[in-house]
Amino acid sequence: MNSLVLLVLLGLGLSLGAAMPAWAQSKSELVIALSSFSAETVDPALQGHNVKYYLSLMFDYLVGTTTDGQPSQAGGLASKWENSADHRRWTFHLRKGVKFHNGDEMTSEDVKFSLQRAMGKRSTTGYAGPLRALIVDIETPSPDRVVVVTKDPTLIIPTYLSRSLSTEGIVLPKKYIEANGDDVFARKPIGTGPYKFVEQVVGSHIKMTAVDNHWRIGVPKYKNVTFKLVPEETTRIAMIRRGDVDVADISRERVKELEGEGFPIHMRREEAIIHAWWILGPDGRTPPTKDKRVREALNLAIDRTEIAQSIFGGYAEPASIPMGLSWSFKEIGFKVTPDMVYAYDPARAKKLLADAGLGAGFTLDVYAFQLPGFAEGKSFAEAVAGYWEKIGVKSKLIPVDYPAFRKMWVDRKAPGAVGYYNIANRDWIGTYALLEKQGYTPSKLNDTVNDPEIDGMIAQVMRQTDREKINALMRNIYTRLRSEHHGLPVVYVHSPYAAAKTLGKWNPGTVMYDLFLDELARR
Amino acid sequence: MGGVGEERRSLPPTLISSVLRFVLFRVLQSLVALTLLSVVVFVLARTTGDPLHLILPMSATEEDYANARRYLGLDRPYVEQYLSFVGKAVTGDLGTSIRARRPVMELIKERLPNSLRLALFAMSVSLAMAFPLGVMAAVKKGSAIDRTAQVISVLGQSLPTFWVAIVLVEFVAGRLQWLPAGGIEGFASYVLPGFTLGWFVVAGIMRLLRSGMLEVLDSEYVKLARLKGVVEHRVVWVHALKNALIPVVTFAGIYFAILVTTAIVVETVFAWPGLGRLAYDGITSRDFPVIQAVVLTTAVIVSAVNLGVDCLYAFIDPRIRYGR
Repeated sequence: MNSLVLLVLLGLGLSLGAAMPAWAQSKSELVIALSSFSAETVDPALQGHNVKYYLSLMFDYLVGTTTDGQPSQAGGLASKWENSADHRRWTFHLRKGVKFHNGDEMTSEDVKFSLQRAMGKRSTTGYAGPLRALIVDIETPSPDRVVVVTKDPTLIIPTYLSRSLSTEGIVLPKKYIEANGDDVFARKPIGTGPYKFVEQVVGSHIKMTAVDNHWRIGVPKYKNVTFKLVPEETTRIAMIRRGDVDVADISRERVKELEGEGFPIHMRREEAIIHAWWILGPDGRTPPTKDKRVREALNLAIDRTEIAQSIFGGYAEPASIPMGLSWSFKEIGFKVTPDMVYAYDPARAKKLLADAGLGAGFTLDVYAFQLPGFAEGKSFAEAVAGYWEKIGVKSKLIPVDYPAFRKMWVDRKAPGAVGYYNIANRDWIGTYALLEKQGYTPSKLNDTVNDPEIDGMIAQVMRQTDREKINALMRNIYTRLRSEHHGLPVVYVHSPYAAAKTLGKWNPGTVMYDLFLDELARR
Repeated sequence: MGGVGEERRSLPPTLISSVLRFVLFRVLQSLVALTLLSVVVFVLARTTGDPLHLILPMSATEEDYANARRYLGLDRPYVEQYLSFVGKAVTGDLGTSIRARRPVMELIKERLPNSLRLALFAMSVSLAMAFPLGVMAAVKKGSAIDRTAQVISVLGQSLPTFWVAIVLVEFVAGRLQWLPAGGIEGFASYVLPGFTLGWFVVAGIMRLLRSGMLEVLDSEYVKLARLKGVVEHRVVWVHALKNALIPVVTFAGIYFAILVTTAIVVETVFAWPGLGRLAYDGITSRDFPVIQAVVLTTAVIVSAVNLGVDCLYAFIDPRIRYGR
């Protein structure tokens, strides 16, 4: 009798174990401590792309992306897509049976609503502007089919609506938002992602809990995921040591110390390019940097290897192509040839300045500021200014905060002055989107290049529907940017994340602002 | 002290009316100060620059800027923005955060209790350390206890809060792993930030208490109490301490308000979501509504504490009441 009871209990235990979600049988919480949450809103239409690391857990994109940034039919709400012969109609076939966290089924109406919302006037997403200009209609012929109609022939629609770029491709619940309003949604968002929103305390944390079974990753490995905002690095490291958090962003200078203690370091290689440029005047470039020789001299005066070693602790690589985002190189078949690499050559730099009639040097304003993810900003500015001093360029460091510099830049109030940014690395379409803003004269506000030849090539990319021709155009743009020295590409920096010893395998991928933490939740 | 107690018990009508007049006058003063402060904060916040440069992506177009400016009401004339802010503020609506896109009042309601709890904990730590040390330092002037108290006092006032916080996080939390490094999770998480905050206040309270006690212990009525045969611990802890407490209460009251509202460094290091961090985040992101709301909330708290202390003084000391 007793044996029978034991057997029944054992059987019950086993069957319960099998029926229970996987997270009930393993570590139930994943905690990530980060130094910044950026704007901290959980509504994708109110965010730039720099918070995708937490939005990607709660929401799904129309088009999925692999961890190396390629469009994926397995990772998005559209299981396939095709374009019309004239490349103006893009039809997306949606997965059936995908439900929002409130139980409503996701349909083409939700996709249409989300895209219209992302392009709306209230939206502050990364690429709302270009999409507004490009999309003329969104049709919903059936609940599982949505057609995006564009003004001009284009190839870029699937990429624009994918996880690889910004947040415009995130699909939101139309009925829920219409019934409850934008403000309620912004406080209690629901999506179709593997984790449901639980709580947000601005300035403190965002908590999520797993759905029972997700169409993409199955039963999530962790029951809860919590993002903690911990601005001070010493505190984040103490939390890692105590086992209070599983992942934390750390500075490059603390990598060796934590590695020595046995904590795995996951490196996002070449996560950003540290790129400086000269502010344009109202009518374009102004002397002395209007002269190509001066721009080349200022590039040759910088010892990139030394900067990579001394300022970035060895976790950086020299860069040579202005706005050359390296994650796009492979896709478009671009190679940095030896002659494109900027050697550290102060003697040649001095000669170039002398040839340009500036042998006695000149004065150059350099704005010095720090940026999120670029704590070394001011040291970097000081180092660059120091190199320029050596070739006779009197660099005047102007300490400001980034918004003050940005105002000078977009208002064109300080022509010729130098500023910089840690531009997130991205794939070819992300690079194109960047070039279309920062290297394209008609964009006015942010342009840093002002080169009619490059303008012509950028304009062709958008209209081109032959991928090979797009690749050739992109290669030519890079080549021209380099040969004309349209900027100061300095280094590609790697970004380290320390992990708990128990975390296991994690590939943070090469998609901008996305850490693929949902892949950690996949069993 | 005994006389004051008798005055309290009798409460003649003239006293009540004069205290009421005093309170009303102080409330009016506070209102005028708050109004002036609201103008100053409104103007200064806007001189820091355009918040859209921070919230819009680098790729934003001029159209994006115009849309966002219109949506956030930043395209209206300053006077109109100010009047709208004041009009809503008197009804309890402090606007919407530009960065977090949530009502600022909600953010303050989330943060203020955290700051209050931390300040209470810190103040309790301070008082628990400062009282015995301060009193014993005065009673045993020149002894080892007195010298220890003086060392603590010097360290408390000279060690930068940031340094104390980092050292505690690095060693107590990170290396020894005795206590949590940051965040609010249970009583243990209060210990390090509470101690860091309270450490500075200990020094101030202890010094005040020591000097107050030294003065009182030398007074005639204490000597009389001893002559009358009152036991020494009663002389010290009851008769003398009561009179030495007045400046300490004032100091502690004002410091409590400061701990609630300006613990920016401690809140940042210990990832404590309080009012100080909210202010800091507001300033760095040029979130005008948050800056305005936090400054005004701080001003209201400080005014309320000052008013409370003033009223207490006016009640205790008629010279303040009539001599303004």
